[in-house]
Amino acid sequence: MWVKLAFKLFSREFRRGELTIIFAAIALAVLTVFSLSAITERISLNIAQKSSDFIAADRRLSSNHAFNEKVLTHAEQFGLETAKMLYFDSMLFANDELVLGSVKATTKTYPLRGKITIKDSLNGQSYEVSTGPKAGNVWLSEGLFYSLNVNVGDSVELGAGLFLVSRVLIKEPDAPFFSLSGNKRVLLNYQDIPMTKAVQPGSRVFHRLLFAGTEKQLTDYYTWLKPELKSNQNWEGIKDRQSPLGNNLDRAERFLLLAGLFGIMLAAVAMAVSAKRYCERQYDPVAMMKTLGGSRKVIRNIFLLHLSLVTTFSILAGLSIGFILQTIGADYLATFMGTELPQAGFRPWFLSTLIGLICALMFSLKPLLDLFDIPPLRVLRRHLGDTLALSRIHISLCLVTIFVLMWLFSGEIVTTLILFASTLLVIIILFVISRLLFSAGRRLGLRPGSSWSLAIATLQKRANANAIQLISFALAIKLMLFLVVLKNDIISDWQMQVPADAPNMFIINIGEQEVAPIKQFFQDNDIAHEDFYPVFSGRVDAVNGEKFARRVSKQEGEEKDEDAKEGVRREPNLTWLDLLPEGNEITEGKWFSNSDEIEVSVFEGWREILDVKLGDTITLLVNEQPIEAKVTSFRDVDWGTLKPNFVMILSPNIAGAVPVTYFSAAQLQDKHTKDISQLLQRYPTISMIDIKSQIEQAQSIIAQVSLAIGFVLSIVLISGALVLVSQVQASLAERMQEVVILRTLGAKGRLIKLATLYEFLLLGVIAGLVAAIVSDVALLVIQQQLFSIEGRLHPYIWLLGPASGAIFVSSIGYFMVASTMRQNTQGLLRKLL
Amino acid sequence: MSVLSQLNVIQVSGLSKRVSTLEGSLTILSDINFSVKSGESVAIVGASGSGKSTLLSLLAGLDVASNGEVHLDGDALSTLDEEDRARVRAEKIGFVFQSFMLVQSLTALENVMLPAELAGDHDAKIQAMELLNKVGLSHRLEHYPSQLSGGEQQRVAIARAFIGSPKILFADEPSANLDSKNGHLIETLLFDLNRQNGTTLILVTHDEQLAKQCQRIIHIEAGQLEKISEGVSANVG
Repeated sequence: MWVKLAFKLFSREFRRGELTIIFAAIALAVLTVFSLSAITERISLNIAQKSSDFIAADRRLSSNHAFNEKVLTHAEQFGLETAKMLYFDSMLFANDELVLGSVKATTKTYPLRGKITIKDSLNGQSYEVSTGPKAGNVWLSEGLFYSLNVNVGDSVELGAGLFLVSRVLIKEPDAPFFSLSGNKRVLLNYQDIPMTKAVQPGSRVFHRLLFAGTEKQLTDYYTWLKPELKSNQNWEGIKDRQSPLGNNLDRAERFLLLAGLFGIMLAAVAMAVSAKRYCERQYDPVAMMKTLGGSRKVIRNIFLLHLSLVTTFSILAGLSIGFILQTIGADYLATFMGTELPQAGFRPWFLSTLIGLICALMFSLKPLLDLFDIPPLRVLRRHLGDTLALSRIHISLCLVTIFVLMWLFSGEIVTTLILFASTLLVIIILFVISRLLFSAGRRLGLRPGSSWSLAIATLQKRANANAIQLISFALAIKLMLFLVVLKNDIISDWQMQVPADAPNMFIINIGEQEVAPIKQFFQDNDIAHEDFYPVFSGRVDAVNGEKFARRVSKQEGEEKDEDAKEGVRREPNLTWLDLLPEGNEITEGKWFSNSDEIEVSVFEGWREILDVKLGDTITLLVNEQPIEAKVTSFRDVDWGTLKPNFVMILSPNIAGAVPVTYFSAAQLQDKHTKDISQLLQRYPTISMIDIKSQIEQAQSIIAQVSLAIGFVLSIVLISGALVLVSQVQASLAERMQEVVILRTLGAKGRLIKLATLYEFLLLGVIAGLVAAIVSDVALLVIQQQLFSIEGRLHPYIWLLGPASGAIFVSSIGYFMVASTMRQNTQGLLRKLL
Repeated sequence: MSVLSQLNVIQVSGLSKRVSTLEGSLTILSDINFSVKSGESVAIVGASGSGKSTLLSLLAGLDVASNGEVHLDGDALSTLDEEDRARVRAEKIGFVFQSFMLVQSLTALENVMLPAELAGDHDAKIQAMELLNKVGLSHRLEHYPSQLSGGEQQRVAIARAFIGSPKILFADEPSANLDSKNGHLIETLLFDLNRQNGTTLILVTHDEQLAKQCQRIIHIEAGQLEKISEGVSANVG
C-alpha cells in the first residue's frame, strides 16, 4: 500500500518542482562526469594518436647496439605491430659529387603511426604515403638533389651499393624538430643495408625498434621487457619526450582534469544544497504522517523509494544529455579539425553512473536520516526539528564524499589533496571574511524604509545563512574565474610558443664566407630571418680529465632527458655567444666574464647527466681535437619554444679555434619557393629544414585542445550557474515569509524587488571580489606548480569577479522574487500555510 | 484494571512534564489526574503557555511524560515505544490542528485518504469521498490545499480526522485560524460528526464559549489542573 502512496507523492512532488533541483543536481553531476570523461578520453585518444605520429609509433626502443631478436618476436607475441630502423652516415656519389648523407633504413611497416610526405619530382606536389622505399630504391631529401645534381629516376651510389632515386623525401613523421644533422637525409629499405657495406663491426650506428598497439598490450609487453633492458637501451613514449608537444599535452590533460574536478565540486555543492532543502521541506508532511500513525518503516520506505526514483531518472537523464552533448561536441571538434575522434570505452558510463549514485546517496543520507527522526510533536511545536538541519555530521559527510568523488574521478591523490585542502582553506577564510563584512555592515546607518536599508538589514539578520550563501557564490565564481583565466593563459602561452610569424625554415651548414651573401639574398627577396648563429659539433670526452661514462636510466618514467642523453652520444650542437639568449635563465654561476679561459654554460638538465658542477673542466672533442672549457654557469632552457636552443654555449674566445658553420631561420611564404631553389642551386652545401608542417601540426593540436578546453569550460560554467540558481532558490524559500509579511503590511512591490536586487547585488559583489582575490592567488601557485607557466597577476579579474558576481547573482535573485510578486498576497499566504 | 477504568477511554494519573532549559529544569505540567469516558466531549482550556497543548501531546502519545501515566483505551502509553504509539494513533486517534497540517502535494481527497493508506486500508477512497461529502466538499475532491480557502482546508482536515472511525478525536484550537463565520461552521461540523460517530472528543481551546459546548471542561493554569467544570452540553449528552 505504501508503494502506491509513495509513487503518488513522488509524482506530485516532481510536478510541483520540489524535486527539480535535486534531479538537476544529480543529472548535472552525471552529465559533467560523463561528457568530461568521454570528451577527454576521446580527445586524449586522438591526441595520443596524433602525438604518436611524432615518433611514428606508440613506443620506441633505442640503442647503439643491435637488439636481441627475441625483443621483436616477443612483441609480436604480445600482439604489437613492430618496425625496425637503423641510422648511419654514409657517402653518396653521383655526377662526380661526393656528399655525406644521414641514412635511415626502415622495414616496410615503417611508419607505424603517421605518414611520410614525398614528391614525385622536385617541382611536383607533395603527398603522403604509409611506407618507405622498395628494395633497390632510395628517397633523398631535397638538399641532396642539388648537392649531387641528380633528378628523380637517376642512380646514386650509397656506400658500395647502387640505388635508384625514386622520390623526393619531404618529411618523415619522426624527423626531429631541431636536428641539425643536415638536410642530407636518405631513406633506404632495411633489406638493402648489406648492399651498402656501410655497416661494419665498430661502425657508428644507431638502432631503433618501433612498437604500436593498445595501451594494455604495450604495458604488458613493457612488463616483460623491463627486466631484459640493458643499460644502453632506452624505452620511450610520446610523453617522455622533451618536446613542446609533450609539455602541452601534459598541460591540456591537467587542465581537463582540473576542470572536471571543479565541475564535480560544483555539482556536489548544488546536490548538497538541494538535498538538504528538499528534506527540510518534507519535515511537516513527515511529522503529519507520523501523527496520523505512519510507522517509521513506512515513512523510510516512501522516502527511500523517492530517492531511488529521482536517482534513477536523473542518472538516466544525465547520461542521455551527456551523451548528446559529447556527441555534438565531438562531432563539432572533429569537423572543425578535419579529424576523427575515436569512441570512448565503457569508463565514462561506469564512472558517471557510480558518481551519480554516490552523489545521490551520500549527500541525502544525513538529511534523510534527520527527516526520519522528525518527531510527530512538530505538528504542535512548529520549529521542532529545525535545528537538525545544520549538522556537523552532514557537513563532514559531504566533505568526505566530495573528496572521494574527486579522487575517484582524477585517480590522483596528490592533486585531489591539494585542491581539496586549498578549497577547504578558502571556505574557512571566506567564512571569517563574510562574518566580518556582515557585522561591519551593522554600523552603517541608513534611512529607514529605503530599499538599501532593508537590503542591509536582511543581510545582517541572516548572517549565518548569508555566510553559507556567500561561500557558495564565491566558490562557484572562483572556480569559474579560475578556469577562464587559466584557459586564456594556457592558450596564450601556447600561441606564444608557436606565433603566427614564427620562422618556418631552418637554414644550416652555412659557410662563414656565405653568411654575408645569404643575408643580402634574404634582404633582396624580402625574406624575414633570424640572426646567424655559429654552430659546431663536439662530443663530451672527459670531465676533469676523467673519461665521461654514460649513465642511462632504465625507468620509463625517468626518461625526460632521453633526447639529451641521445645528444651526448650523437654529438650535440654547440655554439658560442656574447649574450645569454632569450628564453634562457642562469640558475647557478655567472654568464661569461672576459677571462682568457674558455668557459662553458651548461643546460641544467645536463648537470646530472654529465655529473658536473661549477668550476669543473669539460673536455670536448671537436673534429677529434680536444678543447677544454671551464663550467661557469648552468642555464634553464625553455624547450617549449620553437626557437633553437643549445645544451652547451661556449664563450666567444673560442672563435677561430674550431671550424664552424652558421645557422639561421627564416619565415618563407609560398611566393619564395623559386627564390629558395635558386639559393640552394647557388650554395649547394647549405641545407634547409622545412618545419612548416611541424608548426602546422603543432598549431592544429593546440587549436584542438583549445577548443576542447573551451567546451569543457562551458560545461563547468553551467554547473557553476546551477549552484548559484539552487542557492538563490533555497534562500528564496526562506525569504518568502518576509515578502508576504511586507506585502501584507502594504510594502510596494518595487521596494521589495529593489531590496532583493540590492541584497543580491551586495552578495554578488562581495562574493565576486573575494573570489577574484582567492582565484588570483591560487592561480599564481597553480600556474607555476602544475602548469609550468610563468605566474602572473590578472588585474582584470579583480573587476570581472565583482562585476560578473553582481550581475549574475542579482539578476537571478531579482527575477525569482519578481515572479513571486506577480502573485497576490492571499495566494502567497496560502502557499506558506 | 478496574471496571471503571475500562469505561474510561482516557485515564490520566500523576502526569508531569519537565523540560531542560539553559536556566535549568522547567515544569510544564505537574501532577495532572483526570479521566475521560468513551463518547464524552472534553475541553481543555487555559491561557497561552498554561500547558494545554503539552497535555494534548501527552494524551495523544505525540510526546512522553516525565512522570505519571496515560492509559489510552487500555494502552499504557509510557510502556510503548514510538512505533507502538504510532500504531495506537493509527488505530484509535484522529486529529484536527489549528494550522490544518494538510500535505500540500496531495489533493483534498488524497489528504483524507492518507491515514487509511498509511494503515494499509484498501477501501479508503469511498470512505474519504463520503466524508468529504459530509463536510460539504464533494465538489472540491481534486483540489490541492493551496486552491482551498482556510475554512475549506479545515473541513478537509476534519474529514481526514474521521476516516478510519477513530475512538478519540483530538482537536487543537480548530477554529483559531479562521474568521468567526467559518470558525462557527467548523465547530458545528466537528460536534455534529462527533455525535454521529460516537467519538470521544478532546478539544484544546482558549475560547470559553467553544469549551462550554463540551460536556466537561478541564481548566489548566500554570501547568496545574485548576478545576474540572461541566459544560453546557453536559446535560444534553
